[in-house]
Order: sequence, then structure tokens, then C-alpha cells
Amino acid sequence: MFKSLNLGVAAVALAVSGAVSAGPLGIGSTATPEMIAGWDIDIRPDGTGLPAGEGSVAEGEGLYEAKCASCHGLFGEGAGRWPVLAGGEGTLDTAHPEKTVGSYWPYASTLWDYIHRAMPYPAPQSLTDDEVYSISAYVLYLNDIVDDDFVANKETFAQVKMPNEPNFYIDDRPDVKNERCFKNCADPKSFKIVTTINGVTPTGHFKEDSGVAANHYQGNPSDANGGAAAPQKVAMSDAATAGKAVYDKACQACHNMGVAGAPKVGDVAGWTDRIKQGMATLNDHAINGYQGANGVMPAKGGNMSLSDDEVKNAVAYMVESSQ
Amino acid sequence: MTKLYEPSLPKLMEAIATEAKGMRGMDRRNFLKGGIAAVAGLSSVQMIPKANASANLPPNLPEWQSYLGRGVVAKPYGEPSEFEDLQRRTVPWLTADAASSISMTPLQDLEGIITPSGVVFERYHGGIPNVNPDQHRLIIHGLVERPLVLTMDDLKRMPSVSEIRFIECPANGGMEWRGAQMEALQFTHGMLSCCEWTGVKLSTLLDEVGVKPEGKWILAEGADASGMSRSIPLEKALDDTIIAWGQNGEALRPEQGYPLRMLNPGWEGNTSVKWLRRLEIGDKPWHHREETSKYTDLMPDGRARRFTWVQEANSVITSPCPENPLTQPGFLEIRGFAWSGRGKIKAVDISFDGGVNWERAELKGLVLSKALTQFSFKTKWNGQPWLLQSRAIDETGYVQPTLKQLRDERGGWSIYHKNSIHTWNVTESGDVFNVQIS
Repeated sequence: MFKSLNLGVAAVALAVSGAVSAGPLGIGSTATPEMIAGWDIDIRPDGTGLPAGEGSVAEGEGLYEAKCASCHGLFGEGAGRWPVLAGGEGTLDTAHPEKTVGSYWPYASTLWDYIHRAMPYPAPQSLTDDEVYSISAYVLYLNDIVDDDFVANKETFAQVKMPNEPNFYIDDRPDVKNERCFKNCADPKSFKIVTTINGVTPTGHFKEDSGVAANHYQGNPSDANGGAAAPQKVAMSDAATAGKAVYDKACQACHNMGVAGAPKVGDVAGWTDRIKQGMATLNDHAINGYQGANGVMPAKGGNMSLSDDEVKNAVAYMVESSQ
Repeated sequence: MTKLYEPSLPKLMEAIATEAKGMRGMDRRNFLKGGIAAVAGLSSVQMIPKANASANLPPNLPEWQSYLGRGVVAKPYGEPSEFEDLQRRTVPWLTADAASSISMTPLQDLEGIITPSGVVFERYHGGIPNVNPDQHRLIIHGLVERPLVLTMDDLKRMPSVSEIRFIECPANGGMEWRGAQMEALQFTHGMLSCCEWTGVKLSTLLDEVGVKPEGKWILAEGADASGMSRSIPLEKALDDTIIAWGQNGEALRPEQGYPLRMLNPGWEGNTSVKWLRRLEIGDKPWHHREETSKYTDLMPDGRARRFTWVQEANSVITSPCPENPLTQPGFLEIRGFAWSGRGKIKAVDISFDGGVNWERAELKGLVLSKALTQFSFKTKWNGQPWLLQSRAIDETGYVQPTLKQLRDERGGWSIYHKNSIHTWNVTESGDVFNVQIS
């Protein structure tokens, strides 16, 4: 009797609050397995969290070149200031360490987790699990960590060992001990005074005419384009106006700074010959991707969730801003 | 008690001045001086020709007193005077893209320990998400008795706390490991802010879900495009971590994680995950990208420290500094901030001669754990050159180290956790330059 009454109370509680049993405050609702499954995307070094599916180095090569190479370089060498992914072995104890996936990252799981959660940079969480396996496998291959016939899946991926794993250790600071000395604490004769390096402080901030583009590289004042989007002097078309938001979301990562040969918005010289090809060609390259002499234009900038019209609007915005 | 101190080391300072004459930075004087004048020129009051300006000075009636001013709620959400020029600034060449970048707080302009919300430094790994608070949820799951999903209303029903705590990027000062690079305080130390944060203690939330005995670590994850994630040990979570929705008396700013963020007081800023959407309790750390590839500390032997969470004691003089040069001789209050991720600041010392001799400064205002703390030293400046330094001591007895001590231990090409004693060279003209003594 007592037992069955308890069960009854529990059932009522379930029906009312949805909670298995309430915490001390009784606030909040039960997170259902379905809710959790949608958001629980993390992967651990032991392979916990890796999903079903698989992908090969060979499949990864094409995906990498289409979706990753425009920033990270065809061989993981990195474009501009975007991260270098491959190389750097033997440099960590030198004055110019190069920290790449192969030379530095301690766990392969981190690669899968990060590509899945945050890449491609303008379109996070847009890759299928198979695509993440393929691209992860290819980046490992670029670092000579797996062979070209490697196929990544839940079992094989968790077994990949990264060469630099043993070289991490837990923070052991405080590592230096200064004394609170008051008199004759240093020998001024030994002082070597090092001053600031000329030319690296962003002087644009100190200039009256630096404008509002605080996030944009000011460039050489003699360079009319200034490296940043030029102020608009003429009214834009409706398509271009609509394209600004798409540009900000999906295109500016490369077209603001000129990454991977991307023509910079506002760079009239850089756009003149491209504009001559006609909007149909530019739209085709933007929608379907293009391998140019200077670099790669990924299809839709790597963001396949964009409609063709959205891409066309963004192209219109860039063209009209660069004439 | 007011203490007036004049360094009595004429010979030493003469030697330093002579040495300083050969510095490359000296030819930068005109640039910076001109630059500061230009910034001042931005405020319209300064652009009024002198003849007009004097029309507002005694004995004349100021122009703004001769008619009625603006009434109430002309600006329902107010803003600083148009004559102020308080703004975040960035170093454009530092990162590839503004959506994964950092800006700096204008410490040189701050009055007191609270950083106004509009100029709290920014650090994004995938830009600012535009989160609708009604549709935002925090899920807590993993090794717990009761996995919960919480709305913002749920969270705000919980017992709340308000704490004044600094938040600092571990890369603060990181551009200066190899040498002095930045010619302004905003760029040498500005990845640092201090606010009053309001929220629920994470320990309260963990009680609510019931952590299983094997639960030792918590993964915090953001709702931004980078899905920012960090592993936090349970000890910290049970100690002083806050899940915050309030900042300086209002909702969090989007830049600081609206509507919900984690705050790990005293720890490197990126652990305080913004736009917090998920907490997973596990038995081991996750070793995600921002705790392996980034935010680890490569040592000279090629090995690397990980989980370098604490921001050790640090301090900097904010006046004078390159943006606040000395304009006239006479009385001078040297002012600055000190802070420690291990607790309260116990003392701050000042050196005028590059660290040969030190004097005790006074702490003023609130002295709070893991918060910016103001210090003050009253003296006179009569046109003598100084190598001006501050040195913080925290309640654990830790003494802020010299740059040489850090470099001897960690090498010259580290990135994070550079908390060394900073040097401003005050020249005879009153201009102030960033220098390093090695």
C-alpha cells in the first residue's frame, strides 16, 4: 500500500513538472534525451561522443580543397593570418615555434570536435558527420599522421595517437619568485633599455580622420583603397542593399582582408577585370565555386545554406562597392 | 596621509637619461604627441577657436548657462558627453578577421574600478550571436541525477549574488613578450575589465541537478558560431563560479554574452564562456581546441603547460602613461590599477628608477578579491626623467615578477600570462614611452 502510494505521487510529479524528482529549489524542467542529443556535440580524447559514419582521406581531399583551403591553404600552410594546419615538426623548442595540428595538438579527437562545431568558419555545424570524418582524416594525412588509405570512423579515429601528446603537463605556476626588495634591488649599470618597435602600433586610432572603421585595417594613407570597404558615395541597387547582410555574414571573412586571393571589397583595381567578365560569370563562380590563378573561391563561400539569390545579392553588393 | 616623494638619485637618472637619448622610441615622440593632440581635437569644445572659448570663461557667462538645457528622457538610455572620447580599440594586424578577434578597454581613461559596459574589452571566436532570451535555454546534463533545461526566467528565480570581479584575456600584454611593441597603455594592458556581475552561483545549479560522485569536470559551451567550449574542474565550479545575467546593473551586453555567461573569477577570460547554452558534467576534461591548440603555454624546452587558468598578480600605472603625458611640473598623483586572480591585492610599490629602489604606494577605494584595485602615490615632477614602474603584491604573498624573471623561466616567445612589471619612460618633456628593461 505504502509503496504503491509513493509510486502514485511520483507519477503525479512527473505529469505536473516533467521532472523525475525535483532538486532543492524545484526550478527548471527535465532535459529530455531528445533535447540533449541535439546539443550534445562534444567529443573526448577517448572517442566518447564520436558518431556513426565514416570518411576517407581520399574523400577528404576534395572536401578540404572546396571548403577549407581558401583560408588554410591547399597543404595546410595557412593563408594570411588564418591558422596553419600542417608542418612545424621540430620547431617547438626553437625561437619560432610553429604550432600545427601535427606538431602541437595532443589529441585527434579535438580535430573532429572543432571541425564539427566551428568549421567552415562562415558556416559552423553545416558539415555532415561523414564529411567531418573525411576532412579530419585528410588533415591528419597532411600531417603524416595517417596513411593515404586511412578511413576514419568511431573505432579507427579514437585509436589515432598524436605525436605531441606526451609533452603537455599541468600548470605548475607560480614558477618565478620575486622578492619585495626596496633598496638597491637591481644594478642600473646592467640595464639594457629596449624601446618600442617602429610602425606596429595602429596609428590610425590616433588620427583625427581615422573614421569609424575601427575594426578595419586602415592601410597606407596613400593607398586610396585603404584596405577596407570604401564609403559608399552612390545609391546601391536593391539587390546590393539586400546583399550587404549576406556579405557581412558569409563573405567578409575573406573579401574584407583579401584572403586567399579574394578581391577586397572597395579595391577598384582588383575588381575591374573581374567585373568585365559580366555578372553572370561572377555569379556562377560565387555560386558554384571557382579555382582562379590567385586562389580558390569556395562554392557559396563554403556556406551552402545560402540560396542562389542571396549569393547573387552579395555579389552585387561587392561589385557596386568596388567600382 | 599625504607623502611627497622626490627620488634623490640625480646621478642615476642622469645616466638613464643619457642612455635614453639613443633610443629609437625617441623619434616617435612627435608622432605620439601629435596623435594625442589630434584625439583631443575630436572633442568639439577643443575645436572652438580660442577667442570663442574664452567667451565661456570667467568673468563671462558660459554660453550653455544662457538658455535651457535638454529635458528629462530626451535620451531614455543615456550616453557619455559628446566631449568624451571613450572607446574600445583594436590592433588590426593581430588577427585574420574581426569576428575572431579582440579589442581593448581604454584603461587610460577609466575613473575607478568599474569598467563601463560599453567599453569592456571584446573577445570573440565566432562573432556576437544575436540571442533571443525568450528562446535561449541552458541545458545541464551528463553525470547528474536530474538533467535540467532552464529558461532565463527559471534562472532569475534562483538565489542570486552580485560580485565585482575583473576579467582578463590571458593574452593581455602578449604582444610584448619579444620586445616592447605597443606605444599606448590601451594596447599593452587593455584586454582587462572589471564589472559587477549578477547571477546564480554555479554550485546552486549543481545542487539542483545533483552531481553524481564520479562527476569531476564540467564542459561549458556557448551558443556562438564557434561553439566556444572549455573544461572547468568541479572544484572551481563549487568555489566561486557564477552563471551571470547581469552586468553593472543591467542585463549583460551582447558583447559579454547576453543573455547568459559563465564567470570564473580570477581565471583567464576565455574560460568564462559567453552565450552559455550547455553544461555537461563528466569524469574527465575534454581537451577541446581552446585548451590544447590555444590557451596552452609553450615552454622553451618544447613542452607545454595546460590548464593555466589563473591570472597572476599584475599592475600598471595609468597616469602618467603614453596617452596621459605630464603637461606641467609640480604636484603629481601617480595612479594605476593592480589585480590578482588569487585574491586581494595586499600592496603596491612604485619605482622611479627602473626597479633599483622602491616606495610603498597607497591602495585607495574598494579592495576586493579578484577585482581591479586602485593605487596612488603622491609626488612632485620637476622635469626629471623617470623609469616608472609599479609592483603588485597579493594576499598570497606573490610578488609581481620582472620581465627578466619571466623570460628566464618561460623563454621569449610565449603568448599568454605575461604579468611582468611594466616600465614607462617619462622624459624631460613629460612624454611617456613604453620601454622594457632587460
